[in-house]
Amino acid sequence: MIFDSDFLIAQLVTGVARAMMLFLLSAGLSLIFGVMNVLNFAHATFLLLGGYIIYSIYAFIGPGLPFFLVAVAAGCLVMAALGFILERVLISRMYDRELPEQLLLTFSLVLIIGDVIRLIWGVSDRSVSFNIEPLEMLGTFINPYQFVVIGLGLAVALGLWAFLKFTRYGRIVRAAVYSREMVSALGIRIRLIYAGVFALGLGLAALAAGAFLPTAPMALGVDIDLIIQSFAVVVIGGFGSILGTFVASLIVGIVYAFSILIWPNGALAVVFLIVVGILIWRPWGLFGSELRT
Amino acid sequence: MSSNWKLDGFVDSVSRRDFLVRTAGVAALVMAPRVVRADAAEPYRLGLLLSATGAGANYSEGGIKAVTNAVAEINSRGGFLGKHPVELHFRDTQSKPDTAAREARDVITRDKVSAVIGTWSSAEALAVEEIINEHKVLHFAANSNSSRLTHENFSPWFFQYSPDTRMESGAIAVVLAEMAKKNNWKTFVSIGQDYEWARAQQAGFLEAFSKLVPEVKLIKEFWFKIGETSFGPYISAMMAMKPDFCFGAIAGKDNVTFIEQAKPAGLFRRTVYPGGLLSLTELQQLKDTLPRGMIGVARAPFYALLDEPIMRKYLKMYQAAYGADAYPSDWACMHYDAVYGLEQAITKAGSIDNEAVRKALTGATIDTCRGKATFRSCNNQLGIPSYVGTVADVPEYKFPILDPKTITKVPAEKTWLPSCEEVQAIQKKRA
Repeated sequence: MIFDSDFLIAQLVTGVARAMMLFLLSAGLSLIFGVMNVLNFAHATFLLLGGYIIYSIYAFIGPGLPFFLVAVAAGCLVMAALGFILERVLISRMYDRELPEQLLLTFSLVLIIGDVIRLIWGVSDRSVSFNIEPLEMLGTFINPYQFVVIGLGLAVALGLWAFLKFTRYGRIVRAAVYSREMVSALGIRIRLIYAGVFALGLGLAALAAGAFLPTAPMALGVDIDLIIQSFAVVVIGGFGSILGTFVASLIVGIVYAFSILIWPNGALAVVFLIVVGILIWRPWGLFGSELRT
Repeated sequence: MSSNWKLDGFVDSVSRRDFLVRTAGVAALVMAPRVVRADAAEPYRLGLLLSATGAGANYSEGGIKAVTNAVAEINSRGGFLGKHPVELHFRDTQSKPDTAAREARDVITRDKVSAVIGTWSSAEALAVEEIINEHKVLHFAANSNSSRLTHENFSPWFFQYSPDTRMESGAIAVVLAEMAKKNNWKTFVSIGQDYEWARAQQAGFLEAFSKLVPEVKLIKEFWFKIGETSFGPYISAMMAMKPDFCFGAIAGKDNVTFIEQAKPAGLFRRTVYPGGLLSLTELQQLKDTLPRGMIGVARAPFYALLDEPIMRKYLKMYQAAYGADAYPSDWACMHYDAVYGLEQAITKAGSIDNEAVRKALTGATIDTCRGKATFRSCNNQLGIPSYVGTVADVPEYKFPILDPKTITKVPAEKTWLPSCEEVQAIQKKRA
């Protein structure tokens, strides 16, 4: 079937928007693994928790877009603080453990946080609606919120890149990726660096939740679906590589969008075929370090 | 850990503010007769298999409320036949067929229930139907409605309170065929969740629609996994096909998310999206988003059934429990019917013996929120209509409804298989 170019552009926009949503979700997961060597299976569950917190703050101070932005900022701070405490209390005890033990611990967090959400917020969905109207352009309609997501994804990617490249703290974080012992030997308190990175990871998860809330409801069980997609992205991009995560998000988002257009029943299979291919031929991912494997 | 604890736990979690407090009181009433009636006869153990979590949680909430309320009311009269207090054993199926099957087996073998009510999805119900058939336990479906439940996979222990997919999608086909002729439609696309109910719903629609308007062609099918959170690529792909209309087979939370995302993406401006499930759950959750004039289908819309005495009675009971602004969803009404249908069968049988109750309900005419209705004796399908209408605002409610002035009530006889011989021919294929 031949498609009009305007519809192809619309499909590209939706693919890139999905990609940026995946990047927002996966950046924190990749960062935490890259620096701390901790595979945080609970990352999407932290996103869910962040989403519920943002919703509650917004329900208290809203309605209105400015209040929503305030709620997102507050939610990011709350989650970052929670991340700092969790790293000090829990995660820091797992650095010398094997990967399966880390996965077990973080999977336990998935169950615990799920039950905490159920106890506090119940089982009903939580969503935020802004009644967005479609944008007519290129002979078709496009959801204008997709441009917001794309802009946010690009801003976070650039911000993370600038932070890691140009700031002292960022340089320390990058150094810690390669040798935590050497960083400690230089008199830098590596424990605080790790706690800071975990806090940043959870703050990013809350930011992703803020981007997610106006498009889909927060609901128990969503986290499991999201973490699988997130793992697909970081496997393709390479665990620990922010650039890899960004590129992989674009690949997954765009391939998925066009697969739906051409072969809707196989769209998810196409994405996971890429994952399988990467695992066979380049297990450290497109931009990951071979040493890590 | 007892399953009653599970019921209390769920109720606690659901109702932090309104539901928790009010229903916890009701739940206490459910338990009370066991304590206060030391001289009571054998209790009637009833399993409730619904989704406190997962894609079906938003529909299941109504069912859980209805069953809890109805059981409390029956127990306040001493239970079934005034002497068999009802013990309710709730299990969260998490909207997953494997969990539903595991919980069904557990509640039957451990808690010795005589009947189960549930589930949310047809995939879960099909899994449970095998187990109830093996253990000769009654199964009342008031939400899941694949026609396979009453045809290919039929068990005489299974009773269907919803219109099945053949009936429901047949009702939609009747209305859409008229629209297709009027608007000279040529093509359409479909989108649905990739699981039993949606596949059955779409197949039922295609069968009925192609008989009525064979010239209108399906040009593309889109299927997505349950729990999808990003419909953008699907919506733009649907618009790229430039169909005259899109048929949706989406239920539960996914239906809410899809409509939430379809509106800002312009789907409803580019093409027509009639026929989706618009129960009270969607009408309330999407009150700001739903395009007015959109055509949808409902199973038990309370606002269109206020002439029915049972519906009026239930509405009163519901508002007494949850407040004057609360209204029972389609799912609540059908689950309410399931409990009182069971009570009517037990009264008719004069006993809680399972075989006697099953025989009493087979082919029985019962009073429901949707009026008097009769179970078809060849497949235990309740002969109730489907309701197709357009979304409209009315002054009586703070949410839109399917406009009572234009709502079409498509009777069961118009959409189910015309004869029991045809039904039995399909049932025999399985045997």
